Amino acid sequence: MGAGQVMIKKFSDSGGLNIAVMIIGFTAFAYLASVNKVTDFIIFCIYVLGFDLLYGRMGRISFGHMLYLGAGAYGAAMSAKYLTPDPFLAILMGIACGATVGVLLGPIVVRTKGAAFALINVAFNQIGYFLVLVALARYTGGEDGVSLKFSTYGFLNFGNVHFLFVFCLCSLLLVYYVMQRLKRSAFGALLAGIKENEIRVRFLGYNTLVYKWIAFIMSTSISAFAGTLFTLNYGFTNPSFIDPARNVEVIFAALIGGPGTELGPVVGGTAYMVISNYLARYITRWELFLGLALLIIAFRFRKGVMGSIQDLMAKRAQKT
Amino acid sequence: MLLSVEGIDAHYGSAQVLHNVTIKVKEGELVCIVGRNGAGKTTLLKSVAGFLHPSRGSILFDNEPMQALKPEKVALRGIKYVWQDKRVFVDLTVRENMELAAYPAKADLDESLERLFSISRKMRTQLNSKAKGLSGGERQILLIGRALVGNPRLLLIDEPTEGLAAKVIDDISRILIEMKGRVSMIVVEQNLAIVSQLADRIYLMKEGNVLEEITERNLILDQDYIESLL
Repeated sequence: MGAGQVMIKKFSDSGGLNIAVMIIGFTAFAYLASVNKVTDFIIFCIYVLGFDLLYGRMGRISFGHMLYLGAGAYGAAMSAKYLTPDPFLAILMGIACGATVGVLLGPIVVRTKGAAFALINVAFNQIGYFLVLVALARYTGGEDGVSLKFSTYGFLNFGNVHFLFVFCLCSLLLVYYVMQRLKRSAFGALLAGIKENEIRVRFLGYNTLVYKWIAFIMSTSISAFAGTLFTLNYGFTNPSFIDPARNVEVIFAALIGGPGTELGPVVGGTAYMVISNYLARYITRWELFLGLALLIIAFRFRKGVMGSIQDLMAKRAQKT
Repeated sequence: MLLSVEGIDAHYGSAQVLHNVTIKVKEGELVCIVGRNGAGKTTLLKSVAGFLHPSRGSILFDNEPMQALKPEKVALRGIKYVWQDKRVFVDLTVRENMELAAYPAKADLDESLERLFSISRKMRTQLNSKAKGLSGGERQILLIGRALVGNPRLLLIDEPTEGLAAKVIDDISRILIEMKGRVSMIVVEQNLAIVSQLADRIYLMKEGNVLEEITERNLILDQDYIESLL
């Protein structure tokens, strides 16, 4: 292997190649299509990364992740409406809201697994939806939601689509980098161990409840971060950001991309958003094709796009 | 006495699996549990490991009661379990498997790896390979190496040679003999030739009861005698 090839391999192994692909891909896509729309895609990818930390890395599928996205969206909106329109404080408040929900619900949620884990999340999601829509409607605007205007600081203007695009892309790269570091850490190995066989991990001396809780809080915080960015991008928040009926979106995206793979959440998130945004222009009932695609994935490519590519590459490497 | 299991009963749901079981393990001793399938050997190990809490009786480790402890607390007291089915964490590398064991035991990873390599030199070359690529024997060696992380005081080893080739069984036996005296062990084993080779003391189990305790060397070596009791 030559020096150039070694450098490329090191760059690729460090995740640098994936980061470069994301920067080039999203930037090109934004200027070919619509900056606004691609910003939306990027934010959704951050949300999928948060979801995949539980699903892909720890083997726990949540059917109620919209709750954590909504906690971020409403946390940011309430901060901007009732405290100060500072966008940075709104982001911090949104993340804090998501983390707080994770801290409070975690001890109950992470005790479960399988169907119970999936359903307990959707149950809490329903409660959150009811709170936003009815019980706290006086503050949240109920069905209408709240419109917001954020402060600007020179070029730090979240009303400017180009600034917002760059900010969201940098956020995605940061979250992606943190996830890669986590995967390669002892904590990542521990989560993989829990996914494979939690009982065995306990026999090594770990109180797995604590580690599952930490992962859960990280996941809710990242999802909440995506929620705050959606609020900044749209300039409003309404109950659709916490609607339990939309939980399938993130599950579909994670499945398409490949759960637990490095680039899977980004590939799946982008693919899902492209299908739902562009296919809908030409085909009224585009969901039918999404369903068919999922059937193919379920029967033929269970590891999703990136998982299947990884398998293919591993087979080729074995042959050579 | 390092471990003293006194008159325990254990149940799976409403079915009683252990009946008034008593066993003892001294420091540095290798105790073999022998019995047919369904005799309650694995259940006994699971009870000691905290996976199954006995409904009656006591388990004392270093004179401390531990029958109500959770598995993670039992592990932190220095009791490690080597499972029967040889399932390592297949999606992790050999190093990551060892790393996972080193952290809670506050053990030095390099030292733990050196000990693993001293058991099997081949592991050095497989350090960064996923454990899914290991053979059955190699997995068993990795499991033993992982259990030795942090210098445990008692190893619970469930059917270490089951399903392995003759050559690998010899290797595993050699490893267990080399470990004798340095760490106490309870080994569940059906292969009486290996039992005779390893054991300082034997407990014969049948239908959830301890039938007999054998400590005399000439009886331990007498496979026909042990077979006749099963």
